[in-house]
Amino acid sequence: MDLPSNQLLIEIRAELRESASQLSRLKLYNSSKWSAEALWGMCEIEPTPIVSDLMKNDESPLRSRSNANAIESQRSPEKQGPGMDSSEYNLYLLASSLFDCKEFDRCAFFLADSQHPELLFLKLYSKYLSWDKKTQESVESMLTAGDVKGVDGMSSSGDGNRSRDNIERLRNHEAGDGRALKKFQKSVDLDNGESTSVPTILKELNDYLSKDQEGDESAGIGVALLHYLRGLLYKLQDIPSNAISSFLYSLSLFPYNWTCWTELISCISRSDESLLLLKVLNEKFISEKSQIMLKFFKLSVFQEFNGNIDDFIQELDYLLSIFPNFAFLKTQHALINYHYMDYVSAGLIFDQIIKLDPYRLEDMDTYSNILYVMQKTSKLAYLAQFASGVDRFRAETCCIIANYYSAKQEHEKSIMYFRRALTLNKNSTSAWTLMGHEFVELKNSHAAIECYRRAVDINPRDFKAWYGLGQAYEVLDMHLYSLYYFQRSCALKPLDKRMWQALASCYEKVDSTDESIKCYSRALQLSLNSDQDTSILFRLAVLHEQLQDIASCKTYMVKCVEAHQNTDGLISDEITKASLWLARHEAKHKRFSEAYKYALGVTHGTSQEIEEARAIARECRRRME
Amino acid sequence: MSRGNTPSQHNSTLAISPLVGNRNLQVQQQHSQQHSHHQAPQQLPQHAQQQRNDALHTQGNRQWSGSHRAAQTPHHAVTYSPLVQKIQNNASLATPAPVQNHGGSTAGLLASMTKSGLFGPAMPSTLRKVSAVTEPTRSPSNARQTMTMDELLDSNQIVNSIDIAQLPAAEKLRLWRHDSLMQHQYRTAEYIGDKVYAMTGDPNDAFWLAQVYFNSGSYIRAVELLTRNNLDTSSVMCRYLTALCLVQLKKYEDALDILGETNPFQDPQGNRVRNQDGGIKLESSMCYLRGKVFAALNNFERAKECLKEALQVDVKNFEAFDELISKNLLTPNEEWTFVASLDFSELDDNEDFIKSLYISKLSKHLNMDQVRKAQNFLITEYKLNNNTDIIHSHVDLLFTQCKFSECLKLCEEALEQNEYSFTILPTYISCLYELGGKNKLFLVSHKLAENFPKHPITWFGVGAYYMCTNKISEARKYFSKSSILDPTFSQAWIGFAHTYAVEGEHEQAVSAYSTASRFFPGTHLPNLFLGMQYLLMGTLPLAEEYFILSYDVCPYDPLLLNEMGVLYFKKNDFVKAKKYLKKAWEAIKALDSESKSWVSIHTNLAHSYRKLGENERAVKCFKLVLETAGKDTDTLCALGYVYLRMNRIGKAIESLHSSLALCPSNQTAQELLKQALEVNLSTALDENHPLVVSSQIREQSSGLDSRKRGAHKLDAHEMAKRLKHGRDSSDEEADDGDSMELE
Repeated sequence: MDLPSNQLLIEIRAELRESASQLSRLKLYNSSKWSAEALWGMCEIEPTPIVSDLMKNDESPLRSRSNANAIESQRSPEKQGPGMDSSEYNLYLLASSLFDCKEFDRCAFFLADSQHPELLFLKLYSKYLSWDKKTQESVESMLTAGDVKGVDGMSSSGDGNRSRDNIERLRNHEAGDGRALKKFQKSVDLDNGESTSVPTILKELNDYLSKDQEGDESAGIGVALLHYLRGLLYKLQDIPSNAISSFLYSLSLFPYNWTCWTELISCISRSDESLLLLKVLNEKFISEKSQIMLKFFKLSVFQEFNGNIDDFIQELDYLLSIFPNFAFLKTQHALINYHYMDYVSAGLIFDQIIKLDPYRLEDMDTYSNILYVMQKTSKLAYLAQFASGVDRFRAETCCIIANYYSAKQEHEKSIMYFRRALTLNKNSTSAWTLMGHEFVELKNSHAAIECYRRAVDINPRDFKAWYGLGQAYEVLDMHLYSLYYFQRSCALKPLDKRMWQALASCYEKVDSTDESIKCYSRALQLSLNSDQDTSILFRLAVLHEQLQDIASCKTYMVKCVEAHQNTDGLISDEITKASLWLARHEAKHKRFSEAYKYALGVTHGTSQEIEEARAIARECRRRME
Repeated sequence: MSRGNTPSQHNSTLAISPLVGNRNLQVQQQHSQQHSHHQAPQQLPQHAQQQRNDALHTQGNRQWSGSHRAAQTPHHAVTYSPLVQKIQNNASLATPAPVQNHGGSTAGLLASMTKSGLFGPAMPSTLRKVSAVTEPTRSPSNARQTMTMDELLDSNQIVNSIDIAQLPAAEKLRLWRHDSLMQHQYRTAEYIGDKVYAMTGDPNDAFWLAQVYFNSGSYIRAVELLTRNNLDTSSVMCRYLTALCLVQLKKYEDALDILGETNPFQDPQGNRVRNQDGGIKLESSMCYLRGKVFAALNNFERAKECLKEALQVDVKNFEAFDELISKNLLTPNEEWTFVASLDFSELDDNEDFIKSLYISKLSKHLNMDQVRKAQNFLITEYKLNNNTDIIHSHVDLLFTQCKFSECLKLCEEALEQNEYSFTILPTYISCLYELGGKNKLFLVSHKLAENFPKHPITWFGVGAYYMCTNKISEARKYFSKSSILDPTFSQAWIGFAHTYAVEGEHEQAVSAYSTASRFFPGTHLPNLFLGMQYLLMGTLPLAEEYFILSYDVCPYDPLLLNEMGVLYFKKNDFVKAKKYLKKAWEAIKALDSESKSWVSIHTNLAHSYRKLGENERAVKCFKLVLETAGKDTDTLCALGYVYLRMNRIGKAIESLHSSLALCPSNQTAQELLKQALEVNLSTALDENHPLVVSSQIREQSSGLDSRKRGAHKLDAHEMAKRLKHGRDSSDEEADDGDSMELE
């Protein structure tokens, strides 16, 4: 048999290469994989100039691959510098088609020895994804086991002594098991001595990057993405400072990686950090072009940590003038309205978004929250139906449905859907928080605490979850705990009087009157209409009384009663009590006319109070006469 | 046969001819090398070639090693090769083949040993004709023999046909006996050997018959044969064989009687006779055998001495060396000093080669650069990079450095070439165990059990598998099986002891470990584990003693240093604890490893810092541990405690929280958290409170942009201020949370 001629081989190879990239461009992943495998398994051919010509030709289709933005920047034929050689390119074709087919372990295996930064990124990224998938699978099985057949499912995997009917127990155990698993699965074991874990990937990455450190700023996207991956892993390892610097480096090399920006946000947990970060970024991204990405980033930061609303509006307007039809920007607009509790306009913007891009499910769960708060059940029902028509297996869809059931007071079902949502996307904080709320509705504080805890584990910037934790512990009479949680939520939302109020009442319960007064005064400062917040005024008065500071007490009581005048005759409990107290106080100090006036003001309240007021009034009248 | 007639103990068995008995002549010849060839009329052609040390060689052979290189005549050149020699000796019978040194003796010898030519070339061979004449039925099975002859032909030797028919009858039978022995046809050999011996009554024939018995495994018959004729007293070789048989029969006392408690040939002047023939000196072999007997009698001190002596007498005695090293009879330091004291000069041009080989087998705890140098030398000079023993040296190095995954990779590469390499397998199995490679362990031990059901390593592997899957009782069963098969297999012993330790049966574990420490005086591990057991049982003085014993043997092992640190930590001697842990840290830094041990050393160091009140360092250490090893409830708890003591309440609560998140039943963390929360409560909500600070910042930031800068400064300032006004928290101790590791 004759050996095939060199020419033939070269042609076959070119065809295969062409087919692999074309097929993968048109998303026939399996066919593409076949071609790439065949290409990889081909015999060696002595390199001839023709080959490189062919290489250049079939690079162009690849450049238009949508998801391979990694390649775009440097695959252009003119820019050969950081490009791959022929065998690396073959390897890349194989690896990318394997990656597309979600065969991550295989992908990593074939790329084991490659040193090209892009290939290295593919390898490590697929290693990471494989690790992530395997860890999640084991956690997920716990979640679904609890879902399908509650206690039975659990008993096989956990330890003994749990009551069968107690859903709360189940939640706790599930959470406990999940945690334990999370810890064990830190390293995914293939049972043959090879294990992947975040530290091992990180180590490899660091080895490479430290070698490559002297690499200049103009390094390709491969290096940028490697830094991004490093940041990702550092974040998983809970080393936010390193993560931030990695992300920043990556962004300085390649600013158009939006996930990198969002990861960057998730690394900071305090508002002062966000300010510092913005300052650094402002210095780093000076050119007009890179400012765009920074502006987007600023919008996101603002969503998380508030800031100057005028600046925000300005940035948003600027961006909207460039991207008038960008759904992301509109969503940001809606979200800011939502955060400022302007539900109506938020709802309107969401309606617009739906018109613009009807099948976009992202952020629709927020819309459902708005509809829920506005109690537009019918619209919520429509949205739920619509979303499940688009894709039933999206976390957002499940959240919407869960909200719908919650609005219908079917909390059990709601919880089920939240769980489903979490199975689909374990990192959805809002789902965890909302599920916690549902458990609160069911009077199951322990389960609620578990949910909130998960939420803050994932996103420590979620003040609702911290607040929920505080409330749940308050119900359980564990005030020390709830104090701490309220402090956390307050630290996140220091301009929200509800936080300070909660904190104050908590201090009050543990008999720290001074602190409580401080918190109430702060809450009062933040209150928009501070003259009318009778409950705060009354609490302040009572606390001052406890401190024997009768004068202050009286002033607050008076303020409280005066608030009555401003609130169109709406009389709250506090006003009644304040009036009564004042009446008593004045009577004691023999200012009977005053006392009489206050006593007459008591028209609502318990019969005892009214009775007492009447008695004082009678007495005063008698004395006055 | 008097002792005088036997070859000197300084010679190897190469000197003992399987044929013929004119010893006197031979001895003469030994001294008068010049006449070797023609003065031995009885020397007969030998067809069977020598494959082993104890195989046959004619008298001329004893000169082919180094010493006689001075003999440069063509004749002598020919005598270099035992094979050529045979033909040469036929001078009286056939035309001598006076020829040619084809590249020196070794070429001929190697040619005779080569096996690749089993299906020899189809070249016509005179010798084949010869053998066909003598043993027509056996010609195909003579392939090997023919082959070697062909080799000779290749080298232009003219060999005329040898007329075996002219030999005396007895000699023919002797030839027959030998050839069948070489072909492992023991029954034939025995049958014929018996007849020869009966016919001639020659002690030499008795000796060879005994060899046949030995090879066929009937040791007792060999002993009987040799003692019946008092051969064991008259001939050193016979004495050695008798002792060997007795050792095989496990009659150690008798063997010792034969061998003598000490070396009878020891030269008080310390003069050392040079080996004449390149083989292993019998004296050395006997020392080695004595060492083995002492080891079997559990007299390890003497055993060690004897084995060392064996090597001092003759460095070529690799068995003695291997016994010393692989059975852990010498401590790492002793190993190095001993090898340095050995005289390799006898090996002439192989001196560096063998020395490097030996060095590459030594303990990797110290003198790493020398080991590396030896390895590189062997690889570059001798192209041994694919040799199992060199790979084993690398593997061992990696294993000592706790680089298990790299080690595993290398092991697998080595095993690809040689699947059942018993030098690599124990390390491979240990590696798999360390890395939790259950699946591969399963496969490997199954393969081994199929192929080597009686090998200790097989059952060691099975035990390791069960250990890995946490089936302790099964693991114990197989470890003990393994150690019964080979009582000197240290890993199996230690594994056996571990099974008790894992189950918390301290008493049994202690006794098992102490047996191991008696058996393997050269390794520090049993003592280390003993100390760990006592540490667990809270018997600190005993633990300390054992640790010190272990430290004496090997002061380089970071694990040991770690344990010592823990010990002093428990004894509340934190300064000392810190000292040892720092040492351990240095060691592990030198080994740049990132295994479990790395984590535990850092954790312990952090705890020592904590105890010594070096809060900042403790925090740094704990953080490092958390970053590299992932979250751990005890570490987080301890970190929380340190933060609490530093009055960084927020951080303290945070880490205590995450500690409790991992293990909600952590009592210490719960207590500490409660305390922290109380402190949190009592923190005045004044200007410096973080809450107030952050709220101020927020107000400013939502105000004017230009004020942002000020906000940072304010924040940093406030934070520092807040951190400064420290308040001592209570003295409550956090749980020590020392991580103890078994391996």
